[in-house]
Amino acid sequence: MCSDVMISVKNLTKTYRIFTRPHDRIKQFLSLGLKQYHREFTVLRDVSFDIKKGETVGIIGRNGSGKSTLLQLICGILKPTSGSVQVNGRISALLELGAGFNPEFTGRENVYFQGILLGFTEAQMNDRFDDIAAFADIGDFIDQPVRTYSSGMFMRLAFAVAVHVDPDILMIDEVLAVGDIYFQQKCFDFIYRLQSHGASIIVVSHNPYLIEGLCHRAALLYRGVLSDLLPAKEILARYHEMSQEELPPLPDIKEDCRVGTHELYFERVLIENVNRSIVTTVKSTEPLRIVAEVFAKRSMDNVRFRFGLCSSSNDLVTRIATIGISEKILFSGRHRISFTMNPCQLTSGWYYINASVDNKNVRLDTWQRATEFKVLLRDKAALNLSSDYGIFVCQGFWEIT
Amino acid sequence: MTFNPLRILRDIFLRRNLLLQLVQRDVLLRYRGAMFGVLWIFLSPLLMLAIFAFVFGHVFQARWAQQTGGVPFWILLYAGLIAFNVFAETVSRSPTAVRGYPSYVKKIIFPVDILPLVPLGSALVHAGFNLLILLGALVWTGNLHSTIMLYPFLLVPMMLFSMGLAWFLAAWGVFLKDMTQIVPVFIQMLMFLSPVFYPVAAVPQKLQPIYLHNPLGAVIESCRAVVTGSPVPWAVWVQALLFAVAAFVVGYAFFQHSREEFADVL
Repeated sequence: MCSDVMISVKNLTKTYRIFTRPHDRIKQFLSLGLKQYHREFTVLRDVSFDIKKGETVGIIGRNGSGKSTLLQLICGILKPTSGSVQVNGRISALLELGAGFNPEFTGRENVYFQGILLGFTEAQMNDRFDDIAAFADIGDFIDQPVRTYSSGMFMRLAFAVAVHVDPDILMIDEVLAVGDIYFQQKCFDFIYRLQSHGASIIVVSHNPYLIEGLCHRAALLYRGVLSDLLPAKEILARYHEMSQEELPPLPDIKEDCRVGTHELYFERVLIENVNRSIVTTVKSTEPLRIVAEVFAKRSMDNVRFRFGLCSSSNDLVTRIATIGISEKILFSGRHRISFTMNPCQLTSGWYYINASVDNKNVRLDTWQRATEFKVLLRDKAALNLSSDYGIFVCQGFWEIT
Repeated sequence: MTFNPLRILRDIFLRRNLLLQLVQRDVLLRYRGAMFGVLWIFLSPLLMLAIFAFVFGHVFQARWAQQTGGVPFWILLYAGLIAFNVFAETVSRSPTAVRGYPSYVKKIIFPVDILPLVPLGSALVHAGFNLLILLGALVWTGNLHSTIMLYPFLLVPMMLFSMGLAWFLAAWGVFLKDMTQIVPVFIQMLMFLSPVFYPVAAVPQKLQPIYLHNPLGAVIESCRAVVTGSPVPWAVWVQALLFAVAAFVVGYAFFQHSREEFADVL
């Protein structure tokens, strides 16, 4: 095995035995494998990959796709049914918030205990303790029983211990979400520091920006099958496309989620490209037109439209409203309103639009996910504008003196 | 997987820091929050011995059928009970030793095989305090013999046997919750069936071999022998040691064999 490979996973398969009743397990044990009293459930199927020293890898996937099982197998908590996992170096794993913490003991005692768990002596922990306490930044609570902690404090202490034990490999399973923004930033800074010291990191998260920002490569886990390790952006796009297919169909006007009096309602919301034809994909260098076709059952003015443009991770990218534009117009019957973003300037990925319309604070109609569209990578010619990260492609110019 | 008992012991020794830490937590946790705190570790056996002395020494005026030396009955009883309690405390807590810590099994990297040894550690701590009280009682009644120095050493088969059984029952305890109910009942039965309240000599001749040729009976008898200063039945003790080593290895092997499924079940 190459010396700079930290984790080598080969043909890893994990199958659980499921016993319907507890005593089936005894029967199984007594039958010495001659008869089967259980069903088998394969969580991971033939997973192989290598992670090199200093590399950060993200794993993304739906709930129940086997992400946690994979991490547990790498940690050695679970034994593979077949295949092998080879790990070089000390693993520090944050699989669950403060697992292994005893709520009756103080933060200080728990920190020392975690250290001993990872093979440190008390003297070595003495050297580290001040750093850990400073990083967790929970003040006098360090000498209070852990059960009195808030979940944020809990998480901070757990994270502080996990990163201060010089891990060669750090595994984080969706626990960063608990901290506030300030603490999250601190965590990122520390993870960058570990990266620069050559630690290998595996991150499991649903947050695409976290995966995009931290990981060199990422992989998609779907029903126990792991994709190849590819650049994070590609994996995220694929992940979104996959979740797209499994989303429920767009809600109809008759359904409850279309809140409002419906005296004026949306008939269609759609996206048009530069040629005014209806599309579902646009390039980020080209104009994007959001079009809404509405119908008013009686004539009314003082109508105000709002469109929220959201990214695939449900973050609001921008909101546009017809304030100061539509109030004086008398609506009756069919109308068409549109807003053109020129150019659309979004980074590649999926986006959707929430539409709503009011009449003097009376909700006429709301439509969540009224339409969806995909933004493609820009033309090759525009590559020098900025890179395809974040939410929007910045336009401007450089000056270097 | 190893079946060499010395290798198993070495593996345990290599993780002594963690084991000691766990035992310390286990002992402290029991007394944490109590007003007298860790003092109870001393107070509760002392109270028990006082009750023994009162009930058996004064109320019942009880004596061994074959009285050995001048040692009062309540001290003999106590001497045997200390040894038995090492076994009882370890084994009766073993079904929850792993089951009670699902997060150690599932969420962190942890050598699960030392979990069933934690009750033994606490039991030995308590046995240590009990021995101190026993020593005090022996000095006070003027029955101290130098052979009592052997007492801790004589406990070795009891410890190995308890460990083997603890591993076995801890593994079963994970799969079957009923074990937490069954085991304590059996321990209670064993307390009366093992020679704690009576010497083996008081048992019908036919049953005596059963009483002697098992780690419980042999160790309790041997331990009592060093308290009264009478000769230790070494042959029986060595047999018990061999039996205990076998139980130790089998228990360990069974635990290692089934631990792969712990995380699936908990």
